[in-house]
Parts: sequence; C-alpha cells; structure tokens
Amino acid sequence: MSSLLNGLLIFILLYLPLDLFVKSHTIGITIGAIQTTLFGNADEFLDPMNKSVFLEFVHMQIFFLMMLVLTLSAVYIRLLHHKTNTILSMNLFILFALLTPITLTATYFYSDQFTTIYLASFFAWHAIALLMTLRSLWELNLAA
Amino acid sequence: MLHKAYRYAISYFLLFSILLLLSSAVIFADKIGFSYESVLHYYLGDKATFTSAKTYAGLLKIILPHIFAFGLFAMVVLHFMIFTKKHNTKEIAFIILLTFLSAFLELFSPFLILAGFSFFVYMKIISFFLFQGTLLYILFILFKSIIYNK
Repeated sequence: MSSLLNGLLIFILLYLPLDLFVKSHTIGITIGAIQTTLFGNADEFLDPMNKSVFLEFVHMQIFFLMMLVLTLSAVYIRLLHHKTNTILSMNLFILFALLTPITLTATYFYSDQFTTIYLASFFAWHAIALLMTLRSLWELNLAA
Repeated sequence: MLHKAYRYAISYFLLFSILLLLSSAVIFADKIGFSYESVLHYYLGDKATFTSAKTYAGLLKIILPHIFAFGLFAMVVLHFMIFTKKHNTKEIAFIILLTFLSAFLELFSPFLILAGFSFFVYMKIISFFLFQGTLLYILFILFKSIIYNK
C-alpha cells in the first residue's frame, strides 16, 4: 500500500510545479499577463480570449482540480488524521482551490479586480498542496 | 476526527461537482444552444451563419476525452452512495443505470445526427438534461446525508 501512495504523491509532486510552468505559458501567472491573455492588448495587437475557449479552459481546470483535491485530501487524511492541523490545512487547500476557477470566471465576466484574488488563491492552493504532499511523503517514509 | 475530515473532503468534492455541471451547462448553451434548430445547425452546419457541418473525426476528437471523463466522474460521485442509507436500494440502482445510459446517449447521439437521423437532436438535449439531473439528484442525496447523518 505504501508504494501505491508513494507513487501517487510523487506524481502530484511532479504535477504541481509543472502546472505553474504550463500556466505561466498559457494564461499567465502575473496580473498583467493574465489580463492581457483574457482581455487582449490593443497596443500590442493582441486579441482577447474567445468566450468559448475561456469556458472550456475553466471547465477543464475544474475537472483536474476536483480529481486532485479528492485524491490528495484522501491520502492526507489517511496518513495524518492524528495530527491537530490536518483539517485546517485541508480546508485551506480546498477553499483556495475552489476559489481559483470562481475568481477567474469573475475576472473574465465581471471585473479585472478579481485577478488579484485569483492569483493569490492560485499560488496559495499550490503552496498548501505542495506542503501536504511533502508532509504525506514524510509521514509515509521517514516518520518514526 | 477521521470521519469528520472525510466528511469535509466529500463535501468539497460535491461543490466542485456542482461547478463542473454548471460550467458544462454554460458551455452547452454558449456553443450549441438548447433549441432543436441550434443543435441541428451546430452539427449539420448553417448556410445563413456560414458554419460548416461537423465531421465524424472532429466529433470523435471532442468525445474521446469525454468518454473517460464522464465514466470517471459518474463513478466517483455514485460510489459515495455507499456511505448513505439509500445504498442497495432499487431507486439507486435505477439512478446509476439512468446516469450511465444518459451519458452514453449524450456522447453518441451527435454521430446519429450527422448520419441524418435528426430525431436524435431531441435525444441529445434530453440526455444532456437527464445526465445533469441524475447527478444533481445524487449530489442532493449526498449533501443531505452529510448534513443530517452525523
């Protein structure tokens, strides 16, 4: 069972930084880059993102996020249920993950001011997921 | 504590499921539309709006990742029914059958529309709502179970 969990955790560990890398080359990971991708830039002759392309992007993100949230939190609870801050870190991870697609949609359809909240929640869930993965790996292999 | 943590994880997963269903409905409304004409024109093309007909290969490209995703999503959501009082009932067995059947019809009815069976436009629309409806019903049962069965 431990090799199975190790395998999954290593794959999640690979996914998290690569997701940042891919996002930096697609939608962007700075306020300016995201707003240029979504709304275009007349000075640089860049078109805004098409509505259906945006909706498909968000739809796909939700699917991947929900599967990641379910698997990582299941492993984390299984390995660290006896620790005091398990529920807190898991709640924070999922709340920030949940905020990501919602605030991105709000940015596109309502106001570009949501970009800051989107970016904060995007980096927050990645950081907490990374910590949860490392803690799970530690508990699985190195904890006494 | 273990039980409580799993309760949280499942609740959040259900919230994500609602977001996923909502986004798919918005995409359907935006790309295809819910009327008979809009579905027919989406697949067979429309001279008035200069849209070309879909090809079998093009449809397959869209449907292929969805076959896996529909199966996985339905299985994950439905398997949580084990934790409710309604598991092993005829009602749930029927809902499971209906979910997978509606997913199958939703995915493959466009091929029959392309083949000239325009009746399947209705099948596409009905199966879409049926798939969403059955999953929303399951989500409702799960939320109820999480809230009341402590």
